[in-house]
Amino acid sequence: MSARIDRISLLAVPALGFLAVVYALPLVLLLAKSVQTPEGFSLAEYRAFFADEYNMRVLWRTLRVAALTTLLALVIAYPTAFAMSRARGGWLTVFLVAMVLPMSLGVVVKAFAWSILFRANGALNGALQWIGLIDRPMRMMFTEAALVVGAANVFLPFMVLPIYAVVRQLDQRLPEAAASLGATPMFRFFNVTLPLTLPGVVAGSAFTFSLAVSMYVIPSLIVGERQQTLSMLIARSFLYLRNEPLGSTISAVLLGIAVLVVVLSSWLARRLGART
Amino acid sequence: MTRISPRGLTRRSLLKTSAFAAAGTFAAPALLRAQSSELVIGCAGSHSAWMEAIVVPHMKEAIGADILFEGTKSSVNLEKMASNKDNPYLSVVQMDDPVMIQAVDADLLTPITADAVPNMTQLRGDAVHMEGMWCNYVQPWAGVAYNTDFAEGVPSWEALWDPANAGQVIIPSLQNTEGMWTLFMAAMLGSGKPFSEAQYEIEAAFAKLEELKPNLLSVYSTMSQAFNLLEQGEITLLSGNFSSYTLPRKAEGVPVDLAAPKEGIFAMPSGICLVKGGPNAELAAAYVNEMLGEKMQAAIADFAASVPANTTVKAGAVIPDGVEIYSPDWAFVAANRRDWIERFDKLMAL
Repeated sequence: MSARIDRISLLAVPALGFLAVVYALPLVLLLAKSVQTPEGFSLAEYRAFFADEYNMRVLWRTLRVAALTTLLALVIAYPTAFAMSRARGGWLTVFLVAMVLPMSLGVVVKAFAWSILFRANGALNGALQWIGLIDRPMRMMFTEAALVVGAANVFLPFMVLPIYAVVRQLDQRLPEAAASLGATPMFRFFNVTLPLTLPGVVAGSAFTFSLAVSMYVIPSLIVGERQQTLSMLIARSFLYLRNEPLGSTISAVLLGIAVLVVVLSSWLARRLGART
Repeated sequence: MTRISPRGLTRRSLLKTSAFAAAGTFAAPALLRAQSSELVIGCAGSHSAWMEAIVVPHMKEAIGADILFEGTKSSVNLEKMASNKDNPYLSVVQMDDPVMIQAVDADLLTPITADAVPNMTQLRGDAVHMEGMWCNYVQPWAGVAYNTDFAEGVPSWEALWDPANAGQVIIPSLQNTEGMWTLFMAAMLGSGKPFSEAQYEIEAAFAKLEELKPNLLSVYSTMSQAFNLLEQGEITLLSGNFSSYTLPRKAEGVPVDLAAPKEGIFAMPSGICLVKGGPNAELAAAYVNEMLGEKMQAAIADFAASVPANTTVKAGAVIPDGVEIYSPDWAFVAANRRDWIERFDKLMAL
């Protein structure tokens, strides 16, 4: 049996080899540049990065935008996943297509669509003025709120699909059993349904946060150069400043954040899985 | 009934066939490119319209070249050239003068010679740089673009600082060459000195730029998006834009125009160069020769509202009368640009 498993595991060798050559090797070479100086090994670039107040502001903004994006995506995705889990036949197809099809649309196209929605004489301002909520157009373009909404829109499928996968396998008899014992809908949700679906929430949040913390095109198109993120700093370092050690250092910081999120979410998912 | 030979498909033959197929796959592009008429040209993304409409069909007809152009920013083109220095894939690059200086310093260019590119002898004297390391092929002028639905003109660069335009202004990042125009004009307005001296008054420039912050909606590094906002009326003023972009849009009926404020305008330095060791060297030289020839010079200058570099060509843009046209000390820019970009980004950050 074990010999058979070993042989099957060999099927992963091409993928591992591919990843090693096109992902791990360049990454190692890139990270090496962050600690290389003509004099040898040095952490000077890291010290300089963390000592710069501007870099810390960018780091904090990047984390805040990623967290808000994840939160907004979660609020939209959670009920959507339940609706999808109950859908059958044509409706399920509609839901899945609605989730997957926007992923094939370029971010640039979406950014221009958002500008139509968010601009001073755009659809959203028009609607708010029409219903009398505001007297004059609100500034929506180039705001952090617009960025969070735009990013949540792009990353929503990465939140919905993991939650949907867990909700679909949810044993519906458990909330029903709680109801038969007199539990209120609110109690059933917070004490039965939510704990059982938390592994999906953790996985979706980890996906969304990791993608949001490293996004580049969306912030550069929606909020421009005045609100930089870590990814924009990396691009600036390599392309405009031609400062490879700085770019590599920021890349390593960004990678560290992503790895931390993945490790923490895996640990959390295991704990929640064990508890449920 | 045909029986499959037991020797038909062995593990060894499968591996051998796969190896040949893989080798063929990797080798094919190089083999094809070696004998193709393909030229990969790096250029500005904002040049896409006239590159597609004018240059691509002309080059196919005149020199038989199939043009693949990569539209991006000058600094990105420089990075592509530097990253592929040992095995370049770009043959010709069209980018701005300050970046050309960096490319020369990094030993990325081959000089353009009159033997290979006879039309370079017809250029204005100031259009050939560093003994032919690059040439200017056209020269748009840069001023302040504005939306004609909200402004009747821009008589002075001070309009960018006018409180009436709070939240209505976008300026280019210093990552873009056109970002330098706002910096230099801030230096002139801040120091009160003539351009020849003010261009070195960088402290005064940054102090004046700081005063611009309340009026700024954004700072751009992707010009097309900022221009789109100008066209939509989301902003009123777009600083440092150039004739090759604004005037064709105006001609199409879009409510935009380009102002030449009284303090002066700038000459946008559009250069063309040969990449050192680039593929299809002879074809690349023929491409540059055509770009500097009368037919292309006239067509591009007309289409992109630019001043031709070829002295035999009389068509093209009309330079506004009565205002100074400035061309800065690009060597000074190239030497300081990195520091300015960092300082600018921190100053303008929200």
